[in-house]
Amino acid sequence: MNELGHYITPLLEGTGVTLEIFLLTFVLVLPLGLIAALGRLSRFRIVRMVLEVYIWLMRGTPLMLQLLFVYFALPLAGIKLPDIAAALLAFTLNYTAYFAEIFRAGIQSINKGQYEAAHMLGMTYPQTMWHIIIPQMVRRVLPPMSNETINLVKDTSLIYILAMNDLLRAARTIVQREFDMTPFVVAACFYLGMTFVLTWVFKRLEDHFGRYEL
Amino acid sequence: MAKKDYMVRMRNIRKSYGENTVLKNIDLDVKKGEVLAIIGPSGSGKSTLLRCLNHLESIDSGTIEVVGETFATDDGYGSASYVSPKEERKFLGYMGMVFQQFNLFPHMTVMENLIKAPMLVQKKSREEILPLAQSLLEKVGLSDKADSYPGRLSGGQQQRVAIARALCMQPEIMLFDEPTSALDPELTGEVLRTMRQLAEEHMTMLVVTHEMNFAREVANKVMFMADGFVVEQGTPEEVFGNPQQERTRSFLHNML
Repeated sequence: MNELGHYITPLLEGTGVTLEIFLLTFVLVLPLGLIAALGRLSRFRIVRMVLEVYIWLMRGTPLMLQLLFVYFALPLAGIKLPDIAAALLAFTLNYTAYFAEIFRAGIQSINKGQYEAAHMLGMTYPQTMWHIIIPQMVRRVLPPMSNETINLVKDTSLIYILAMNDLLRAARTIVQREFDMTPFVVAACFYLGMTFVLTWVFKRLEDHFGRYEL
Repeated sequence: MAKKDYMVRMRNIRKSYGENTVLKNIDLDVKKGEVLAIIGPSGSGKSTLLRCLNHLESIDSGTIEVVGETFATDDGYGSASYVSPKEERKFLGYMGMVFQQFNLFPHMTVMENLIKAPMLVQKKSREEILPLAQSLLEKVGLSDKADSYPGRLSGGQQQRVAIARALCMQPEIMLFDEPTSALDPELTGEVLRTMRQLAEEHMTMLVVTHEMNFAREVANKVMFMADGFVVEQGTPEEVFGNPQQERTRSFLHNML
């Protein structure tokens, strides 16, 4: 019991770092992903092309590589970011691409008749998107969003290569010091706890946004 | 007759999709309080004509006047353009539209469907618009459904909500694009009754329909279209009682 006690403090601190990276990334990715999705559907070819290339780069290379690039290559170009900012930048760039594609698919799945009805009622494009299209899109993208959000929680463990004491690194440090596998089991339980809460939150959101469905 | 007595005036309307010309020099006049029924076989261009009138589609050439003002105009070289998007809002305000597929907003209650656009577009407060919305719901017989979501209503009820939603913007003209075609036969009656009531209140209406009885009994004027042409038009008595064209006769023969 005593032993578990002295594991717990560093593991809880690690969880704090993990949660911080996760929550900040998530909060940034939602609006950025939506903007990128709208840009992908823009009538301006140049905007669409720039975003296509961006999404191709972000989805086509390993997240680990992107992290290393931000952390090691940017300083060579004279841009030195604090650790946490570097991690946030890499995660946000990467996940914005994935969320943009989820949002784009959701927007495109909305029936054309909804735009026509809004047009006839005199609504502008921003009014149509904000009041008619996006609220319906949210319901449809919640399941794939839930997937990606859970992936994000687990992907935060990649920052252990940046020497930041997240949950996984905290566990590994104890394991290496004490030759005891228990911290890995505890860390697994912590991750499971976080993803369990997220699954529950998304379930509630689906019920809330799906209340108009039969 | 003075120009402004026409609610809708379309002249020399042409519209093509690539090689396929769907509207061939259509002229159309609707006066205040008139009910025009547009009938014809599928693919005759009647829905496209309605959709060009409210700029869901664009005409290639011709002119459109709504309530005496120019909405789309010819440049004289055979191509037409509509007014600016900003000005367009005014013209869309003159026209309400009812779609075949209802196109209600599924994530809003019936009441929200009615009041959303007046609040956003006409900048009315909820309190200002509620009395009108409530009276319209009463008119279409759905006062008890104000807080329901469209998904819980029958097709006929949804279409009546769609009519009330369009009326809540207080349009001068109502456009109906096959309003009963997506409905089960036993549900068309309630929608047609609502439309008949509107006609009796002298609403100006353009109705694309396959309901020959409605066209015969409610319309003041019937226009028969086929292959992008207006084949024949006149009063219901003329078109249904004594069609002049063979094309009209064979269509009516098959419909009745």
